Amino acid sequence: MGNKQTVFTHEQLEAYQDCTFFTRKEIMRLFYRYQDLAPQLVPLDYTSYPDVKVPYELIGSMPELKDNPFRQRIAQVFSEDGDGHMTLDNFLDMFSVMSEMAPRDLKAYYAFKIYDFNNDDYICVWDLEQTVTKLTRGELSAEEVSLVCEKVLDEADGDRDGRLSLEDFQNMILRAPDFLSTFHIRI
Amino acid sequence: MSAYRNNAYEEDPAYPDYYGSRNHTRGYLKTQDYPDSPGPPNNSDDPSTRSNPYSADSRTSPDYPGSLAEPDYPRSRRNPYYPGTRSNPYSTGSGSPDNPKSLAEPEYPGSWSNPYRPGSSREPDSSESRRNPDLAGSRGSGNYTGSRTNPAYLDSLGEPDYAGAQGSSNYAGPGANSNHPDSRRNPEHAGSRISPYIDAPGAPDYPDAENQSSYPDFLGEPDYPGAQDYRSSTEFWGEPDYPGAENAHDYSSSENPEMTREMLSRASSVQPSFHREGDRPFGILGRKDGDYPESIEMKSRETANPYSPSVPGAPGNGYVDPAYVGDNGLSQAYGDPPLSGHDWHKSPQGQKLIASLIPMTFRDRIKTIRNQPRTMEEKRNLRKMVDKEKSKQPRRILEFNGCAQCLNSISLAYRRSKNSLSELFNSISLWQKTFKVIGGKFGTSVLSYFNFLRWLLKFNIFLFIVTFSFIIIPQLTMAKKNHLQFTGLEFLTGAGYFSDTVMYYGFYTNTENQHGSSGTSYNMQLAYIFTVGACLVVCFFSLLFSMARYFRNNFINPHIYSRGIAKLIFCWDFTVTLKSAVKLKQKNLSTEIRENLSEIRQENVKLTLNQQLIRFSAHLAAWVVSTGVTIACCVAVYYLAKKNTEFLANHSNPGEVLLLPFVVSCINLVMPRFYSMFRLVERYEMPRHEVYSLLIRNILLKLSIVGILCYYWINIVALDGKECWETLIGQEIYRLLLMDFVFSLTDSLLGEFLRRIIGLRLITSLGRQEFDIARNVLELIYSQTLVWIGIFFCPLLPFIQMMTLFIMFYVKNISLMMNFQPLSKAWRASQMMTVFIFLLFFPSFTGALCTLAITIWRLTPSADCGPFRGLPFFIESIYRWIDTLSQSRRYLWVVWIYQNLVSSVHFFFILTLIVLIITYLYWQITEGRKIMIRLLHEQIINEGKDKMFLIEKLIKLQDMEKRASPTLFTPDTRDVEQSGPLRVREHDAARDLRFRRSVQEDNPKA
Repeated sequence: MGNKQTVFTHEQLEAYQDCTFFTRKEIMRLFYRYQDLAPQLVPLDYTSYPDVKVPYELIGSMPELKDNPFRQRIAQVFSEDGDGHMTLDNFLDMFSVMSEMAPRDLKAYYAFKIYDFNNDDYICVWDLEQTVTKLTRGELSAEEVSLVCEKVLDEADGDRDGRLSLEDFQNMILRAPDFLSTFHIRI
Repeated sequence: MSAYRNNAYEEDPAYPDYYGSRNHTRGYLKTQDYPDSPGPPNNSDDPSTRSNPYSADSRTSPDYPGSLAEPDYPRSRRNPYYPGTRSNPYSTGSGSPDNPKSLAEPEYPGSWSNPYRPGSSREPDSSESRRNPDLAGSRGSGNYTGSRTNPAYLDSLGEPDYAGAQGSSNYAGPGANSNHPDSRRNPEHAGSRISPYIDAPGAPDYPDAENQSSYPDFLGEPDYPGAQDYRSSTEFWGEPDYPGAENAHDYSSSENPEMTREMLSRASSVQPSFHREGDRPFGILGRKDGDYPESIEMKSRETANPYSPSVPGAPGNGYVDPAYVGDNGLSQAYGDPPLSGHDWHKSPQGQKLIASLIPMTFRDRIKTIRNQPRTMEEKRNLRKMVDKEKSKQPRRILEFNGCAQCLNSISLAYRRSKNSLSELFNSISLWQKTFKVIGGKFGTSVLSYFNFLRWLLKFNIFLFIVTFSFIIIPQLTMAKKNHLQFTGLEFLTGAGYFSDTVMYYGFYTNTENQHGSSGTSYNMQLAYIFTVGACLVVCFFSLLFSMARYFRNNFINPHIYSRGIAKLIFCWDFTVTLKSAVKLKQKNLSTEIRENLSEIRQENVKLTLNQQLIRFSAHLAAWVVSTGVTIACCVAVYYLAKKNTEFLANHSNPGEVLLLPFVVSCINLVMPRFYSMFRLVERYEMPRHEVYSLLIRNILLKLSIVGILCYYWINIVALDGKECWETLIGQEIYRLLLMDFVFSLTDSLLGEFLRRIIGLRLITSLGRQEFDIARNVLELIYSQTLVWIGIFFCPLLPFIQMMTLFIMFYVKNISLMMNFQPLSKAWRASQMMTVFIFLLFFPSFTGALCTLAITIWRLTPSADCGPFRGLPFFIESIYRWIDTLSQSRRYLWVVWIYQNLVSSVHFFFILTLIVLIITYLYWQITEGRKIMIRLLHEQIINEGKDKMFLIEKLIKLQDMEKRASPTLFTPDTRDVEQSGPLRVREHDAARDLRFRRSVQEDNPKA
């Protein structure tokens, strides 16, 4: 890690440390992971904030995400333009939220966005159907899927408006303690 | 993208020749298998292709919309997505309300009509060549289209894996962003609903910078070093001359995808240079740009503000990046405004946040900043601003004393040292990689076992360090020579040679180590008792705190238990990364959901009295049998231990001592399996109950055996009057621990392997086994209990446990990878971990504590060995120490503390009383909170009803408005009927209380 000074300035590293849940070493490790994704694209000098994006195809091919049914959503949610292409900042943001240290509310907020496929700030029935299909590889029949969606809404929809708002979601996450450990990507 | 187009080709009879005529279809077909291709990002092709066609040829095929309704592309997927991205510009930039609305839906058919055109644009007779006759060779604007789409073809051909992903690339960002803003600005656009894009064939999108910037990403090729430089090429777009046409020609002329690819990579590798030289490889794109000056404006916006990459295509004011739509919903939770990325902190809420951050301590501030659900850019800006404000403030206050700098540097140094310290701790964290692998294959649940193991290992390392430095090293400095012979059997029995080493209590001396001239002395007696005591106290508190933390996190609201389908769905295990594991997990999940559903369906099926009786008697019988077996085992162990002592007194075979630990380990090995067979008899309705009952039976068995052994040691061995009974107990515990280790080792290496062979070869119906987390964790708890009891008799025990745990980790890991399959049932890992820690605390640790307390307060240490020789009780050493202290005046405070606090009954009485009162008060507060939670819950439901009611009112109101002025509001009402904009509206209605009130006031009037 001797050359970390050439990649980031001291202030940059400090800023990253303050804005993520990572230590300096982890930031460097993540940077090299990022750099490895597209060695020709990503410069080894970030002191001048180069405007580099790694395309989603490469982000999605990371072993951590490759087989995740939600990888596209994850990349979209954390990328700036919602297209899945990630700058280093987005990349660090993503793994910071997915890290062990991130608090429940933050995780719940991003999980909500991941499950909100149509970006309308609510997890509606359609979003739920998408989620269930992704989770079960379409093994459930349409009737079962709709039943599941109905049940989920029944369980979690606090204000009975037929869809889950962020508050509903957070409330439900509180009751699912496993969420904290499962919404976690090890790097 | 390819899938989409391919479908278009297939479904669209107007272009049958297309299908076969293009090499690319190969790629399309291939990519269709891609599992994710039907996902939403696939839509992304639409925008991407859509954006080209504008310039290429937008007058094509009005029948395309028909093909939109393909089954693979359910309308819903598209619609909801667009509103998401689209609605934002509208909602904020609604300066011209009719404009966005006209954009919203009706235009889409127009824009969609293009997508398959870009493909066709490469045909020589396509219209754009007409339009650009001077570039006929390179087929005019088609070049650009070609060059844009080509890479996609390439990729879908070359790397089918990426195909689906590719689609996503240009999706929301470039496609959606660029289209709408541009078209919104286009005055013709608003009126172009009837014949969309005829007037605007050149498509306003082209100039858009973001479009281009997405291009490199779209390529998806890692070998495009200059890809990002494309972005810079945007600067030249606006110029009407085409010096780069030649370059573009390169792209388009290569019909052969492979060739294109080569060319592309070649071209792009040179790109950086010619960008910098000011060449315009894409200058050709700008052919229409002269008509769209706003494109230049946009570019300048983008380049001017390096901090706003999220607002690239934003025309004019108030564009909200789709990524921030959530802020609306979050405004309550996080108090943030729905503002666009980079300037939100200038808003009142942002200012408020900054203001609230300033007075915080450094740590809290960082924590708050970290916890903001914002992008890095914003967090960094926030941090910068707060730091700036902060640095302003203290300077004002501390100006005169000049201390500010000093303070600053101190805090900085502290921060740095803290950072490096946390890094150090982080680097210690063991087995990071292995954990990742296990998590990737088996998920969090199995991982929790290994986490527990690692936690115990750290615990034991700590215990070892403490005992080693305070007891063992001082004793080693004055070790006598060991005259016993070492045979090798000692490793198993722990007796013989080892009994005269630092391993056991008996070896320690009661002399005070004098250290030469300095005159300081080291009292071994006190060191021994205090070290063991300190270890136990630290264990107690760390157990207590981790238990409390687990309880707080995992039993927040235990009384609200639902069937938990929601939990199944939203708690997908993101740690699982292995492909086969993901597949298996998905399969298991669907089975589980099915089971859950069937449970819900049969919810109301009541058992008859007879069935209930049978079930109850089965449970009762199982409990009676298990308790009876436990008692029988205990009695057997007790008598065996007694007989064994007598037997050993007469025989001197050193191997005989292994009988007792062998029997105990056998019981521990066989009994849990026997218990788990009860499952066949008693059928629990909920798997959770089964796990818990199994757990209780097992822990009862293991700990009552340990308990009976403790009883035997305290009441028989200790009172037997044998020489050095403490060492004997230490040896016994060592043997038990070692035998347990050997058994689990053989079980892991041999038993589980055999089970796999049987499961896979002989009785294939059994299949692979699943990792029994509960049983394995209980084994760990059992051995840890032994360590805690034994630490007093054998101070080196934590070291041995450390080694065994270390080896067990690898053995279990290998066995897991070879012999097991992931769990089929969702295992409530977090709650189970809480239960395990609780079990570790309650019967296990407290039991050990009780045993040691009895030993120290009640038993007489052996007269000829150990540090406490000659004392009536172990605790007497403390009494004597206090006595000596009371003679010297310097330590009177210690004596005072001892007499008035530690040994005072009154103090403890008062303390207990206070604790009880506090507990009672807290309990009452909890009860009150429960009522409050219930009330709030009801309120939420009422609010929801309120909201629905208001939305209905609003829709009625809009209908009335529509009727009042049908011409003006046609697009508007159309939108209202669509789901997307309605969402936005009702969203606002729900969020904004003032707005709601005003509506309520308006309603009567209406």
